[in-house]
Amino acid sequence: MAAIARAWSWFWLNPWVRTATRPPVTLSLAFLTLGGFVAGVLFWGGFNTVLEHTNTEAFCTSCHEMKTNVFEELKGTIHYANRSGVRATCPDCHVPHQWTDKIARKMQASKEVWGHLFGSIDTRDKFLDLRRHLAEHEWARMKANDSLECRNCHSAQSMDVSKQNPRAAAAHEKDLFTGQKTCIDCHKGIAHKLPNMQGVPGWQ
Amino acid sequence: MRRLLLSACAGATCLVAGALFAQEAPRLTGPEPFTKETPAPPMQRQVTDDVRRKRNYPDQPPLIPHAIEGYALDLNANKCLACHARKFTEQSQAPMISVTHYQDREGNTLGGVSPRRYSCLACHVPQTAAKPLVPNTFVDMDALVEREPRGR
Amino acid sequence: MDVSRRTLLKAQAAAAAAAVAGIDLPAAAQNLAAGEEIALKWSKAPCRFCGTGCGVMVGVKDGRVVATHGDMQAEVNRGLNCVKGYFLSKIMYGADRLTQPLMRVRDGKFDKNAELQPVSWDQAFDEMARQWKRVLREKGPKAVGMFGSGQWTIFEGYAATKLMRAGFRSNNLDPNARHCMASAAVGFIRTFGMDEPMGCYDDFEHADAFVLWGSNMAEMHPILWTRVIDRRLSAPHVRIATLSTYEHRTTELSDQSLIFQPGTDLAILNFVANYIIQNGAVNRDFVDRHVNFRVANTDIGYGLRPEHVLEQRATHANEAAVSQPSNFEAYARMVGEYTLDKTAELTGVSKERLLTLAKLYADPKTKVMSLWTMGFNQHVRGVWANHLVYNIHLLTGKISEPGNSPFSLTGQPSACGTAREVGTFSHRLPADMQVNNAEHRKHAEEIWKLPPGLLNGEIGYHAVQQDRMLKDGKLNAYWIMCNNNLQTAPNTNNETYPGYRNPANFVVCSDPYPTVTAMAADVVLPTAMWVEKEGAYGNAERRTHMWRQLVNAPGEARSDLWQLMEFSKRFTTDEAWAPEILAAHPEYKGKSLFDVLWRNGSVDRFGLSEIAADHDNVESKRFGFYVQKGLFEEYASFGRGHGHDLAPFDRYHEVRGLRWPVVDGKETRWRYREGHDPYVEKGSGWQFYGNPDRRAVVMAAPYEPPAEAPDQEYDLWLVTGRVLEHWHSGSMTMRVPELYRAFTGAVLFMHPDDAQKRGLRRGQEVRIVSRRGEIRSRVETRGRNKMPPGRVFVPFFDASQLINKATLDATDPISKQTDFKKCAVKVIGVAMTERGAE
Repeated sequence: MAAIARAWSWFWLNPWVRTATRPPVTLSLAFLTLGGFVAGVLFWGGFNTVLEHTNTEAFCTSCHEMKTNVFEELKGTIHYANRSGVRATCPDCHVPHQWTDKIARKMQASKEVWGHLFGSIDTRDKFLDLRRHLAEHEWARMKANDSLECRNCHSAQSMDVSKQNPRAAAAHEKDLFTGQKTCIDCHKGIAHKLPNMQGVPGWQ
Repeated sequence: MRRLLLSACAGATCLVAGALFAQEAPRLTGPEPFTKETPAPPMQRQVTDDVRRKRNYPDQPPLIPHAIEGYALDLNANKCLACHARKFTEQSQAPMISVTHYQDREGNTLGGVSPRRYSCLACHVPQTAAKPLVPNTFVDMDALVEREPRGR
Repeated sequence: MDVSRRTLLKAQAAAAAAAVAGIDLPAAAQNLAAGEEIALKWSKAPCRFCGTGCGVMVGVKDGRVVATHGDMQAEVNRGLNCVKGYFLSKIMYGADRLTQPLMRVRDGKFDKNAELQPVSWDQAFDEMARQWKRVLREKGPKAVGMFGSGQWTIFEGYAATKLMRAGFRSNNLDPNARHCMASAAVGFIRTFGMDEPMGCYDDFEHADAFVLWGSNMAEMHPILWTRVIDRRLSAPHVRIATLSTYEHRTTELSDQSLIFQPGTDLAILNFVANYIIQNGAVNRDFVDRHVNFRVANTDIGYGLRPEHVLEQRATHANEAAVSQPSNFEAYARMVGEYTLDKTAELTGVSKERLLTLAKLYADPKTKVMSLWTMGFNQHVRGVWANHLVYNIHLLTGKISEPGNSPFSLTGQPSACGTAREVGTFSHRLPADMQVNNAEHRKHAEEIWKLPPGLLNGEIGYHAVQQDRMLKDGKLNAYWIMCNNNLQTAPNTNNETYPGYRNPANFVVCSDPYPTVTAMAADVVLPTAMWVEKEGAYGNAERRTHMWRQLVNAPGEARSDLWQLMEFSKRFTTDEAWAPEILAAHPEYKGKSLFDVLWRNGSVDRFGLSEIAADHDNVESKRFGFYVQKGLFEEYASFGRGHGHDLAPFDRYHEVRGLRWPVVDGKETRWRYREGHDPYVEKGSGWQFYGNPDRRAVVMAAPYEPPAEAPDQEYDLWLVTGRVLEHWHSGSMTMRVPELYRAFTGAVLFMHPDDAQKRGLRRGQEVRIVSRRGEIRSRVETRGRNKMPPGRVFVPFFDASQLINKATLDATDPISKQTDFKKCAVKVIGVAMTERGAE
């Protein structure tokens, strides 16, 4: 009890704290209000700039783990090169577009920084060993948000089934439009190689 | 008589075609002269219409009438089986892989797809829309087996 | 009207009557053809394509092949074929099949600058004989030559070797197998004193680990790959490791892939040996009893023309094949340089993968099958690569027993049976004998019933040398049979084509189709193919298998055997042999080559009555005796009792092939091993009896760099090869619409980053340029082959994209086999937008 009281008085007697809590004497209220606003904008802008920077493919692939494994695999797929040249970058599929979800995802991603620092997938073989685990995370996330990142570009409402191959059209009509299934249920492994699929529903 | 006619026809086609296509198929005979630099033909579009192609004979592995780009066929996953294996065909409405694929080397029928049939693409191939470089005069056995309509 | 048609009409009448009466007839009378109408005649044959040697059942109706499927009785494939094999029915029916001889004729006479025109066989052969006689007269046997094939039947290869060596007294006979198998063959002889693998395909079901050294089996040997995958998926402890310079379908199905810098496989091989020694995994007892150590000459050049700077600079360019006796300690010191660190750095393979690989070999309980094809063989140090893999197996004693097997795969259906066993190489005679060995020549002269001293002891021109000599005007009468060398030889613009069009030369090409090579020849002979003739092939596991003639060839097309024998009628001994030989043996004077080569009392000893009654045999009926049987039995007498024993001819028509040596009616699955090989003495364990002291050789050889590597200007490695759907130059498979549509044209496989760096996209047209030549192709950044940055792959099957204009004619200096896997190119976009698909 005494220790808490001691810390309390130390804090409030600290000259910095006392200065900070004393009402301003020489600065105008307007200056302080505006200054506070500008500082807030700068801070917020900076935060978001950094955040946005972490949302670029260049940032994602600045890590050796991403560059040599998942990004390398993406290059051979339709999400990297296709007829119209519209392509998906890493964050398009792996980072939610809504702010709150994005922040939540970013906080989860701090674990990836940990993984990077401690080299948990710093070789191809280590990555391959963990691939099922990593993939299951993404499948679960997309399943939970009804394949939100897919739907950011591929709106089921905007599909013209007459332009689809018969078997794709049939599957979409039966499962997608009825809400029976979500994109990721069928479209696993379209941008990266698959892990061992033993026991995954719909696979051998 | 029929046999004679047939072979005569085939012979004649060969003779004519032999002379004709020698010039018309530079993609098979190479540039003329050899040292000439020739443009590369365009890459062809894949057939993806899901329409089954008739087999040339019952023993021919069916062709793949859909895109397979990016389909996994490795130790981790086999995308072909995810539709064509017996247990998935009702859902996928894809043709079930043939019964021969459930047999081992010795011909014993197994309770599942034989591992020797895992490399689907060794026998089943997709197609492009390309026009053949020369006709093939192979005769379908149906054309040799005389069949005339029999009414009832 | 034939009987079956009458029956049919009767059935129809019956059906009509029944319909009127309202009676149901049994199924046989329903609207379904049945009985004789739909009966097919099925016969066995080996597949026409690769060296796997799958058994095929061929269905024939009305003189045409109408169906094919995998032969359930064939041990090799047990009912499976790859997609090429399943389409064998259509390979003979390309509409541009050649049915008449063609010759360059103007005003009724041969003119090298005229267009090819149809002529009769007599006109073609007359002109050929005139040219051959002129060249023999003016320049002697050294100026005539023949380029043959690992796709020849055994009979054809044997007839060719007799015609060339005994008839024309020239050893300028080489097969296209030189481009394909020479490094393996030379490696076998130098290591074991005998050619061809000790193990067999049964090893697939016994091995615990498969290591693929430069072999994309999933595409190139798909049916053997099904056996590997069957084993891998059936026995969970089994592992597959694949070494390659890029990722492909085989690496996809492997437990681990080791993607190395081109040419550095030699370092990995030595590293594995070093690891085995360092970790006490050497089988000392085996090594002490069965192994000799030797050390190879190093700095041996690159088989280029002798004036090339790389040859001038090489210390041992002229003594490439020389080696010296050595011992274990010296060998251990040499491989000791290949440490894990050094090897990982040189090769670009991670240390953990190198170690995993080495442990497979080092673990005495893991049975390892090593497999290789062109990655090893088409290598400027191909013979060394073969040696170095044997070194690993010999150090650990993992050899000649079920599952422990260094196994060289082959690319052609009879690379083993014809090119190697018959001896159609410029230095070989049947049964592993050598032309420069007087004893061997004497033996051949005796079997062939020819005057002693007739055979020429000088080694002839090998494949690449033939092209150079044609260009230089020293080889003037040249017959190309059963191959498409102008498409498949290296550096064709500079070293092959000029020789064909050299005015001093007369070039003949025998082929079923108008290939690139045929179109550049002076005479084109239409050829019967596959089941249009009776034949025999020998596959990669020493299996000899035969087939009957099942259909007739179209028009005037005739088999290579028919052509070789018929052509020999046009020469007398006086025109072909040296006068002093005839003076010493006047009984041969004035006879035709046909008489001395084939009517010698041995080849012609089986009559027409022995031919299968229900099969035609065009050659035998032409020449009046059972040609194939006579040739085979004479040929078999070379090897019987010498470890190359073949069964009697007729037996091969009954069985699905037999693996030699066939002793007392039994085939041999594992050679050199007691209990499996009848030639190995009891109590010895192993005997490598091809060598006089019955020991195999561990050959010390280092890593040496490739002949050409990328630099600032030519900044990419070019690798060439095949794809699953097409076979070699595509002359058969490109004419099967389904196969053509499955892989419609050659493309340039390239890493997306390499494409981006050059401003290129998938599908864009590019120029692929080397120091020697260039072609145009299309960029492929996806698909089955995944190239690392800095390496590109182009298949060679497409006659409209002749990638061998760019390749380098560097060879292994020992085996003379070309390196088609390593040269430098640059890739530049053709300024042209993509034309859309039709």
